Amino acid sequence: MANVQLNHIAKAYAGGPRVIRDVTIDVKDREFLVLVGPSGCGKSTLLRMIAGLEDITDGDLLIDGRRVNDVPPKDRDIAMVFQNYALYPHMTVFENMAFGLTLRKMSKVEIKQRVEQAARILEIEPLLHRKPKDMSGGQRQRVAIGRAIVREPKVFLFDEPLSNLDAKLRGQTRIELQKLHRQLNATMIYVTHDQVEAMTLGDRIVVLRGGDVMQFDTPINLYNHPVNLFVAGFIGTPPMNLLPGIIQQRNNRLTFDSQGNTLQIDLSKSVHHERLQRHVGKPVILGIRAEHLTDAPTSGDRPFFSSEQLPFEAIENMGNEALGYLTIEGIRIVARLTPDRAATLSPTAHITLFWDLDKVHFFDAETELAI
Amino acid sequence: MKPLRYILLTVAALTFIYPFVWMVSASLSSEAGLGSLTLLPIGASIQNYMTVFERIPLGRAFLNSLFVAVFTTGLVLLSGAMVGYALARMTFRGRDAIFYLIIFTMTLPFQITLIPNYITMVKLGWVDSYLALIVPFALNSLSVLLFRQAFAGLPQALIDAARIDGANELRIIFQILIPNILPTVLTITILTFMGLWNEALWPLIVIRDEATMTMPQLVTLFSVGGRADGQLGVKIAAAVLLALPIIILYLFFQKHFIRSMASSGMKD
Repeated sequence: MANVQLNHIAKAYAGGPRVIRDVTIDVKDREFLVLVGPSGCGKSTLLRMIAGLEDITDGDLLIDGRRVNDVPPKDRDIAMVFQNYALYPHMTVFENMAFGLTLRKMSKVEIKQRVEQAARILEIEPLLHRKPKDMSGGQRQRVAIGRAIVREPKVFLFDEPLSNLDAKLRGQTRIELQKLHRQLNATMIYVTHDQVEAMTLGDRIVVLRGGDVMQFDTPINLYNHPVNLFVAGFIGTPPMNLLPGIIQQRNNRLTFDSQGNTLQIDLSKSVHHERLQRHVGKPVILGIRAEHLTDAPTSGDRPFFSSEQLPFEAIENMGNEALGYLTIEGIRIVARLTPDRAATLSPTAHITLFWDLDKVHFFDAETELAI
Repeated sequence: MKPLRYILLTVAALTFIYPFVWMVSASLSSEAGLGSLTLLPIGASIQNYMTVFERIPLGRAFLNSLFVAVFTTGLVLLSGAMVGYALARMTFRGRDAIFYLIIFTMTLPFQITLIPNYITMVKLGWVDSYLALIVPFALNSLSVLLFRQAFAGLPQALIDAARIDGANELRIIFQILIPNILPTVLTITILTFMGLWNEALWPLIVIRDEATMTMPQLVTLFSVGGRADGQLGVKIAAAVLLALPIIILYLFFQKHFIRSMASSGMKD
C-alpha cells in the first residue's frame, strides 16, 4: 500500500484558466481520503489527474515517493471505480473483473483465484456469468468495485460511486465501503459532492471550491472548526445558520448586533471575547449550528443568549429530532427542538430560543475567514 | 381508407417484384419464349445457364469478386474504425478540419476522381492487379463518419476504465468499443460490401485481364461485348447469377439491410 502526495498541483485546459489552482495534499498510507465540494469545484479533475486520465499542468504527483506525472495510468498501480460503473457491456462479470489481469499476463489459475476471492468478499459469486445489463444498479456497483479489488492496487480511486444508487442502497453501501477499507487495508481516495458521504467515510476530508482547497482536516474538525464561511455552510446537515451583523463595544460590553438590529447578543462572557476585540466596528457573520440553538438552555454554566419569543414558520418532527424553522431579518434560521416538546407546539408557535455562545462561530464578512 | 392503402401497396410491391420475377423466369425459358410477359418459364430449360458457364469464366470471376469485396470491406472496417476513433476521441490540432475535409469528399461524385485515380494506378503499375481493385476503396468517408458518430456516443468512462486496466488505444478500439457498436459495424459492412460487389465501372477501367475480372465486369462485358451472340436469355441468366449472392445475403441479413439503408439515408 502507498501514500500519495500532491505538491502544488495545477490544471489548465489548453489556453483556458486554471481549473485546479494550487493543491497540496498528502494522503497517508491506508488512509481514506475524501475530496468533497459542489459541482465544478475540480474534485473529479483532481482524481482523474491522480489516475493519469488527465495531464498535470503544473506541480508533482508522487505515489509511494515516485513521481508519476508522466507515467501512464496502467503503470501507476491504481484502480478506479466510476460513477456509472463503466463495466464493459459485452463481457460477463467474470470477464470484466479478469480483463485487467489478462492484460497483465497473469496466469489463468491466478486470475480465477483472484476473481473468485473478490466475488466472495462482495457477495457476487452467483453473478459471475451474467452480463452487466442483466443486473441491478447495486450489483453493477459491486462488480465495479470487484474489478478494482482484483487488481490489488496501491491506491483505490472512487469517482462518486454511490450517486447512481437510491438513498437506501447508498446508506448500506457506505457501511460496506467502510468495512472494505478496513478489510483491504488500502489507501483510498474518494470523490463525492455529498457531505454526508464525506463525513461518514473519510479519515480526512479535502473541501474544494473553484479549484482551491478550502480546508483539509478530519471530519470532526471540519464540523467543529470550519476555517471559513464556505466550509461552515457546506459541512453539516442542516447547514449552519449564518447571520450577518457587526461587533459593537458598548459600556465595556462586547456585543454582536445583527444587521437589522433585531438581535443584540452580549458576548462579554463568551470564549470569543478576546479574539473579537480586534473586530469591533467591523462587519462579521455569526454562525451557529441548529443543535446549539435550542428550546432549552444548555446544561452547565456555559453562557447563553436567549432570543425573544420568535414565531416559527414550520416545524419538522422526525421523532428522534425536531427542527424548527424561523426567519430573522429575511434569513432562514433552523433550530433543534426536543421532539417531545415539538409535538405539543403548533407549527407557528412563538418560542424563546437559547443560543449556546461558546459554540458560536464568527467569520470576517470581508475575507470570509473564521475569526 | 385502409383497403385503399393495401391496394396501393400491393400494386407498388408487384411493380417492384415483377421485373425480377420475369428476369428469373426468362432466364429459364427457351429463346423463343422470351417475347411474352410471363410469370412462369416457357419451355423451361437451364440451357442459358449452361451457355454462360461455357462462354465465360464466371466461377473465377465470382471468386475474384468475393476476394476483393471481403478483403476490401475488412480494410474499410479497420481503417474506418481507427480514423473514426481518432476523430471522435482524441484531441489534436486540426481535428475538426480533417473531419470536414473527409465529409467534403463524400460530395464529390466518383466520376470526377475516376481519371486521376486511373492515372495513379497506371503510374503505380497496378493496372490488371487486385491492388487496383482494393487499395482505392480501402478507406471510405462514409465508414469514417459512421464510426466517428458511434464512438462519440459511447461513454468516456468506458475508455478510461480500459486505459486503467492497461489497454492500449488499438485494444480499446477493437476489444472494448467495437463490440458495443455492432449495429454500426454491420451497417458499414453491408453498405461497403454491396457497393464493392456491384461496382462495374472501375474494374472495367483498370482490369483487362480476364482472370482478374470481377463478376459485374465480366457479366457487363459479356452482355454488351458480343460474346452472348445477341442471345437475350443468356444475358439474363448471367445477370441473375450476378444478383444471386447479394440476394442470398439479403435473405440472411434482411433486418440489418433495412436498418443499414435507413441509418445511412442512401442507397447504392
